Amino acid sequence: MQSFQRFDRSTSLMIGLLVVAFLLATFDVRSAGGGIGTTMREGAQTLFSPLQEAASAVTRPVVGFIDALSDIASLREENEALRLENEQLQDQVQQFSSLQAELDHLREINDLTAPEDLPTVTAQINSPGSSTLDLVRYINKGADDGISVGDAVIDEHGLVGRVDLAFRSSARVRLIFDPNVTISVQDEVTSQSGLLTGDNDTLILRIFRADEPVREGNVVVTAGSRFPPGIVVGTVKKTAADDTGFGLDTEVEAAIDPSRLDFVKVIVGYSPLDAEDELPVDSGPVDPGPPTGETP
Amino acid sequence: MRARDVGISLLLVVLAVVAQTAVFGDGRINPFGASPAVVLVVVLACVRYVDPEPALLLGFTAGMLLDLLGGAPLGLWAMSYTVVVYVALRFRNRADDGPVIVGLGVLLLTLLAIGLFIVIGTLFGERFFTSTAVIKNTVIPAAYNVLVAAIVFPLVTRLIGRRQPVGWST
Repeated sequence: MQSFQRFDRSTSLMIGLLVVAFLLATFDVRSAGGGIGTTMREGAQTLFSPLQEAASAVTRPVVGFIDALSDIASLREENEALRLENEQLQDQVQQFSSLQAELDHLREINDLTAPEDLPTVTAQINSPGSSTLDLVRYINKGADDGISVGDAVIDEHGLVGRVDLAFRSSARVRLIFDPNVTISVQDEVTSQSGLLTGDNDTLILRIFRADEPVREGNVVVTAGSRFPPGIVVGTVKKTAADDTGFGLDTEVEAAIDPSRLDFVKVIVGYSPLDAEDELPVDSGPVDPGPPTGETP
Repeated sequence: MRARDVGISLLLVVLAVVAQTAVFGDGRINPFGASPAVVLVVVLACVRYVDPEPALLLGFTAGMLLDLLGGAPLGLWAMSYTVVVYVALRFRNRADDGPVIVGLGVLLLTLLAIGLFIVIGTLFGERFFTSTAVIKNTVIPAAYNVLVAAIVFPLVTRLIGRRQPVGWST
C-alpha cells in the first residue's frame, strides 16, 4: 500500500511538472521574446556567463584540437594547398601569439563597415546553445548598448544571424543555420531573388520562377527585407536549374564558420520597414515575415 | 535519502550544464556534428540514488536550465527530462544487472529524451523535422552518452552511491 502511494505521488508530481513546463512553453511562445521567459533567461545568463566563460577559457585549446581532429578530412586537402603556399611564405613569420590573433580579429571586425554605413556594435560570443539542436549564440552586448530584437549580426565573412532576444547586457543571436530562420536573398550574378532557409550545417536556397540556372560559386547576398541588403550570406554549392517550372532548390555554403565565431558586429538602427523601398519591383517572392515559431 | 545527496546531485547538474553549454554546445566539441547530452547522463546517474520526488525535480530543473540557456521555447527540455526521469525511476533497479544494461538504458533513454524534445518542439512550432540533421542529432548523442556514462556513473556512485540504491518502495 505504501509502495502504491509512493507511485501515485511520483506520478502526480510528474504530471504537475509537465503542466508547469507546458504552460511555460505556451507563455514563452505567445509572448514572443518578452515576459517572464526573458526575465528568467536574463537571470540565467547573468548567473552562468562567468562560469561558461571560465570553462570556455580552460577548454579552448582542447576544443580547438578536437575540432581539428574531427575536421581531418578537409584538413588533408587544405594541407596540400598550404604546402605550396608555404614555399612563398617562408620568409614571413607564421607564429603569432593567441593574444595577437585575437587583436587582429578584433581589428578586422572594427574595420568592417556595415552596408549603407549603418551604425554597429562590436560584441563577443559568450556561449553557444545547450545542444547542436540549439543554433544560437549569446553575445556580451545587449539593449544597454543599443541592440534590439531583429538586428542583423555579421562578422568579417558575412551574415551570422539575427538577434532574437535582447537582454540588458547580453543578447541571443539565432544563427542563419536555424531551420526557423528564413532570409530573403539575391544571387549576385543572376540577380534572381529567393528564400534561404537554415538546415543545421548547410543552407537551402529556393528560387521560384527562376529564369536561368544558379551556378556553383555564385555569391548569395541579402536582398533587403528583414536584413540590410548586400550582406554576403554564402556561395552556391551545386549548380541548379528550374527544370520543372516550379522553381529550383540548391544548397548554399555559408560564408561564416559557426565553430570559429568569436567577435561579431551587430547592425543597429536598421528598420526592416525601410527595406520596402529597397526591394526591386520584380524581385520574385517577398519574404513573408517571421515563420511560425520564430521569435521576432 | 539525505539532503546532502540531493545537494550534490544539484551541484553536479549545474556543473554538467556549464560543461554542456561551454564545451559541448553547438560549434564547440561536436565530433561528426553532434555532441553528448552530458546533463542527461548526470541526471540518470543521480536518479539511481535519489528518491523519486527529488529525482523528478532534479530532472525538471536540469531541463529548465538547458531551456534557459538554449534557443528553444522554455519548458521543452524540462518536459522531456521529466518524462525520462519518470521512466528511469521505473527501471532503475535493473541497473544492478550490470554495465551492459546500464549502457542500453542510457542509450534508449537518451533517444527518448531527444525524440520527445523534437516532437514537443515541433508541436510548439520549431522546425526540427524539416532539418536533414534530425537523425544525426538524435542517434549520435545517444551513442556518445553511453561512453560518457562509463565515466559519469562510477563518479556519481563514489559521490552519492555509497549505500544501496533506493527503489520505489523505500
